[in-house]
Amino acid sequence: MKKVFIQAAEQVSIQEPLSEQWMTEPLSYDEPLVKAQNPAFRDYMAANEARRMGGLMKRALVTTLKVLKETGIEHPDAIITGTCLGSLDYTERILDAMLENGEEALSPTHFMQSTHNTVGSALAIYTKTHGYNTTYSHGSISFDLTVQDAWMQMQLSKISTALVGGHDEMTEDYFSKLQQVGFVGVEGMVPCGEMAMSMMLNTDPSVDHLAELAGIRMSFRPSREQLQQQLDSLLGEADMTLADVSLVMTGMNGNPANDQLYKATLEMLFPDKPTMDYKRVFGENYTASALGLYAAAHLLKQKEDLKAILLLNQTETGDCSMMLIKK
Amino acid sequence: MIPIYITGSGVVSAIGVGKEATLAALQAGQTGVRKLKYLDSCHDELPVGEVQLSNHEMNQLMGVADDLRHTRTALMGRLALREALKEARLERDDLKAIPFISATTVGGMDRREAYYAQEAECDDVHAEISTHHCGSSTEMIAEPFGEFASMATLSTACSSATNALITGANMLRCGMADIVVVGGSESLSKFHLNGFNALMILDHEQCRPFDRDRAGLNLGEGAAYLVLETEASVKRRGVKPQFVLSGYGNACDAFHQTASSPDGEGAYLAMQEALQLAGLKPEDIQYINAHGTGTPNNDESESHAIQRVFGEHLPPVSSTKSFTGHTTSASGSIEAVFCLLALQHQFLLPNLNWHEPMEDGIIPVMEQKPQGEIRHILSNAFGFGGNDSSIILSKL
Repeated sequence: MKKVFIQAAEQVSIQEPLSEQWMTEPLSYDEPLVKAQNPAFRDYMAANEARRMGGLMKRALVTTLKVLKETGIEHPDAIITGTCLGSLDYTERILDAMLENGEEALSPTHFMQSTHNTVGSALAIYTKTHGYNTTYSHGSISFDLTVQDAWMQMQLSKISTALVGGHDEMTEDYFSKLQQVGFVGVEGMVPCGEMAMSMMLNTDPSVDHLAELAGIRMSFRPSREQLQQQLDSLLGEADMTLADVSLVMTGMNGNPANDQLYKATLEMLFPDKPTMDYKRVFGENYTASALGLYAAAHLLKQKEDLKAILLLNQTETGDCSMMLIKK
Repeated sequence: MIPIYITGSGVVSAIGVGKEATLAALQAGQTGVRKLKYLDSCHDELPVGEVQLSNHEMNQLMGVADDLRHTRTALMGRLALREALKEARLERDDLKAIPFISATTVGGMDRREAYYAQEAECDDVHAEISTHHCGSSTEMIAEPFGEFASMATLSTACSSATNALITGANMLRCGMADIVVVGGSESLSKFHLNGFNALMILDHEQCRPFDRDRAGLNLGEGAAYLVLETEASVKRRGVKPQFVLSGYGNACDAFHQTASSPDGEGAYLAMQEALQLAGLKPEDIQYINAHGTGTPNNDESESHAIQRVFGEHLPPVSSTKSFTGHTTSASGSIEAVFCLLALQHQFLLPNLNWHEPMEDGIIPVMEQKPQGEIRHILSNAFGFGGNDSSIILSKL
C-alpha cells in the first residue's frame, strides 16, 4: 500500500479565511444562513480577472493558489474537484432570465460558467495544468469521492500529487428550498454556510505534511456488519487498532434527522471515543466534509496528544464515508 | 493493466430504445435528429435528438407509476440500466456488492425549470424537485433495481460518462470491487438548449461533423450503462464476455472554458494516455469514434489532435453525433455502446451529412464495410473547460 500524505490544506468558509484562527477564536453566528468570509481577492488575482469570476470560483481559486504556493507544486498530477451545486448563483440567474425574458436574448456568459466542472477546469486553465482533471457532484459525499479517486490513482502509481477540493456556494432562494425540505435551517441547527477547501495530497514521504491519509471507505446504506468490517479493514490496513484512534470527527449539525445517523454509528463502533462535530464551527454545506478533513489534518499537526482521527460522513439519503488520518 | 471485461450494456437515444433498435438504425444510416417534439421550448427551429418517448411512455415501459418528481434523466437512465443489468445477468441481490457510477450535468434541471416560476411559494413536493442535484439523478436511476454498494456521480459536462467509466475501471484495478456499473444519462432541458443557443454553436440544420460547412451541433439526449468486471468475477459467475476496456486517458486542455485549443493538446494527451495504458500503437486501432460535435472549433481541434497521434496510421474516423445529436454528459457511454455494436457486428459507424472536406481536417468514413477485422476502437469525449477523455474498447 502506497502512503498518502496531506501536504497542505486551505479554506474559505464562514470562519476567518485562509487561517486556522477557528481553532482558538472561532466566529459564531445566530443566523441560519451565513455567506462566506471572503479574503482580499486582489492579493491573489488581478482585478479584471476577479470581475469575470463568480464568488464560488474566486474562493476555489484563492484556496488553490495558496496551497500551490505552500507546497511549491505548480502543476499537480491531478486536479479533482467536488461540488454538489456548482455555480448555483449563475444557474439561478439563467433561470431568472428565462422567467423574465422567455427563451430569447440570453447571455452566454453565465451559461459558460454554470456547469459543475467549471471550477475544476478553471483551476487547470489558470494554472495551465494538463493532467487528470475530473469533477464529482454527488450530494454530501462530493468531496469524499475526490479523495477516493486520488487515493486509487496513487495506489495505481498513476499520480503522485493531487489537488483535491470541495467547493459550494449558497443563495437565499436555494437556502429557503433546502429549509423547506429540512436539510438546513432547522431549529437548533448550525448555520448553513458557503465554502471552498483545497488540499494537496502527495505520496512523497519526504515533504512536510499535516497528516497521513491512512485510508477511505465509501458505501451506501451499509449494514452494521458492513460498517464494522469497513472500520476493521481501515484500521488493519493502517496497522492500527481502535485504541490508536484519538478522536472521531462527525458531521453532526443539530438537525435530529441528521444526527441520529451518527449517534447510531457512534454507539455501535465508538462508544467511548471523544468526538468533535466540525459543522459546529464551519456550518452545514454539501461539501462540508472537506472542511472536516481540513480541520482534522490541521488539528493532528498542532495538537501533540492527538495520534489519529477517524472522520465519519453520513447522509440521510444513505451515503456513508469513513476516512482515517494519522500523524 | 488487468483485463477489464465488459459483460453487459444498455442504451437509449434518439435512434432507439435498446441495442437492437440502435443497431438497426446505425446500419440503416437512419438519423434520430428531428424536429423538437417533447421538450417544451419555443425553439422548434432547432433540430434535436430526442428519445422518441414521453416520460409517461418510459414509465409504462418500466412498469412504474408516473411521479411528478421523476426527471427525464432518471427515466431514460432506468431503461438503459435495466438492459445492461439484464445482459450481465445481475439480480437485485448482486447489486449489494456493486458500485454504481453515473454521470450527468443537467440532472434534474428539466423538472426544476418547469416549476421555477412557482418556487417562491411551493409545496413540499415542488421544494423537493427544486433541490434535486446531480446525485439525486443517480439515486433515482438506481432506485427500482435495489441497493448498490456505493454510488457516485461524475459531472464534467460532455465527457462525464467517459469519466464515469474511468473511475469505475480504477475501482476494479484497485480491488475495491469485482463488478462496477458505469455510464451516464442526460435529458434535454430548456436550460442548456438555450445556453448552447446563446453560445451560437447550434446548427439550425442537421449537424455536419467534419464538413467544411459545418455550422454547429444538434443537442440530443439519452443514457447508456456498461457493466465492467474483473477476470476472477467473470470466471466465478461463468459469464462469457466479448469485449474489454483496454485503455483510457483523461487530460485537461487547460485552454478555455468553452473552446478547444487549436492543436487539441488535451485531446492529444488523452488519446496518447489511452494507447499507452492499453499497450497499443496507433496502427493497432481500426476505427476512431470521434467526439465530432459539428462545431467549427471542435472538429478542427480534434482533427489536429487525431492527426498528431495517428500520423500516417490514421484509421477510419467518424462521429455518430449525426445520428443522435450531442447527448452531452451521456455521450461517452452511449457512443461506447455504439462501438461495442461495431465490434460485435464488424461494421464502421458512418458519418452522416458529410459533403466537403475541411481544410487540413479529418475526412470521415462514410462506408460501413471495414477493410479488415475491427479489433480495437478508440472513442473520444471532450467537455467544456477542456475535460478531455478517451477510451479504447477491444474485441476478445
